[in-house]
Amino acid sequence: MKSIKRDFTTLVLALIPVAIAINIAIGQIVVLLKLPVYLDSIGTVLVGLLAGPWAGLVTGALTNLIWGLSGLNPAYTPFFYVAAAIGLLAGIFGSLGWARKLWQWLVAGLITGVTAAVLSAPTAAAIYGGVTGAGTDLIVAGLRAAGLSVIQATFGQGVFSDPIDKVVSFLVVWLIVVALPRRFRARFPRSTNLPK
Amino acid sequence: MSAFSLYVDRNSGLNRLNPLTMLALIGFCLVAGLALPGAWAPYAVFLLAILPLAAGGRVLRPFLSAALKIVLPFAVSVTLIQGLFWTGGTPIVHLGPLSLKREGLIFAAQSTGRILAVLGSFLLLALTTRTDALMIALAQHGAPKSLTYIVLATLQIAPRFQAKANTILDAQRARGLEVEGGIGRRVRALIPLTIPLVLGSIVDIEERAIALEARAFSRSGPKTSLLVLRDSHMQRIGRWVLVGGMIAAVILGIVLRR
Repeated sequence: MKSIKRDFTTLVLALIPVAIAINIAIGQIVVLLKLPVYLDSIGTVLVGLLAGPWAGLVTGALTNLIWGLSGLNPAYTPFFYVAAAIGLLAGIFGSLGWARKLWQWLVAGLITGVTAAVLSAPTAAAIYGGVTGAGTDLIVAGLRAAGLSVIQATFGQGVFSDPIDKVVSFLVVWLIVVALPRRFRARFPRSTNLPK
Repeated sequence: MSAFSLYVDRNSGLNRLNPLTMLALIGFCLVAGLALPGAWAPYAVFLLAILPLAAGGRVLRPFLSAALKIVLPFAVSVTLIQGLFWTGGTPIVHLGPLSLKREGLIFAAQSTGRILAVLGSFLLLALTTRTDALMIALAQHGAPKSLTYIVLATLQIAPRFQAKANTILDAQRARGLEVEGGIGRRVRALIPLTIPLVLGSIVDIEERAIALEARAFSRSGPKTSLLVLRDSHMQRIGRWVLVGGMIAAVILGIVLRR
């Protein structure tokens, strides 16, 4: 408990709402650019890397809960546990020192993406009948036509989209962290995990 | 309140309820919609609990328009995909080389029911409950105060961020950034849009943290809230009844599904 509290400094508590707002704002830019990814976890991954797995977990879960319960995007709310896992994993990979080398950090993004696909498929199949109401549904349709079951097709869609999405998110976070002033970076709890 | 919310103040009975009672009501709709046995139970919950509550809260019209906008893409998608590509179903409607299968359509209709019940519950909460009141009520019952800060600060920051994102989009376009065209071009547009947004905002955080500390943010002990919440003995009992109802729905679902 003590060690968890140590990660939540006032600076981190000030960072989390900004990170959630980043998730939401970039998530909407992506919709505007009509890209086949979501990129709604850049802030979550950033907090995980700067402030550790627990802060990442809180940022991810709250992004989906707030976005959903504000009434603007309620379809995201049931996936709050997936977003939480993404923040947790980003923090764990950061703590393992994987963020110091870019290729390792991108592998971390790939693993996080596959995990997200595995975690979200049951909920997507059980509540939404396997669809997202967006362009990625074409993949679901193709896999169903190929004879896969509902849950298999949902998982297949996730395994196709999520790793790409998370690798791009992890890359953007890496570029952000490298561009941050060193004096500012040093004030975060996990600053020793960051790339040079 | 910011624009980042669907809340409408109707001074209705639901608006006057303690936010925790509202949360318990929504929780009950959600649990009943997903746990009750019978493939059509979610429709029953939507028609017999969620819609009457929306009507009682005098938010029926915004509720229906928001629900339609959000549920329709899912409903269309699930009907087409599962209807057309159901493996080994009985074809009932022929569309050229493809056909809609009976089993797939039933599955799609049941999925739509669950989507209605789940998203309807969330929308109803958003329309009838002030987030700040809900967070204060949760803090009074032992939720960490930092959680209240995070949620309320997000609600204030998020709309400003969306405005900022649009400004950056316009600014980069004015400098010749192409945001339309092939997928490669759109992917390349991502970096000049996201990095300025993030870097510009992160550096403000330090000032925000100092401002919080100057106002005794991390001090322990009770704090005074300007928002006074009403609660009553009846509501407290009602909440426990609703919690009991959720447990009953889950047990019923497990027992009758065997």
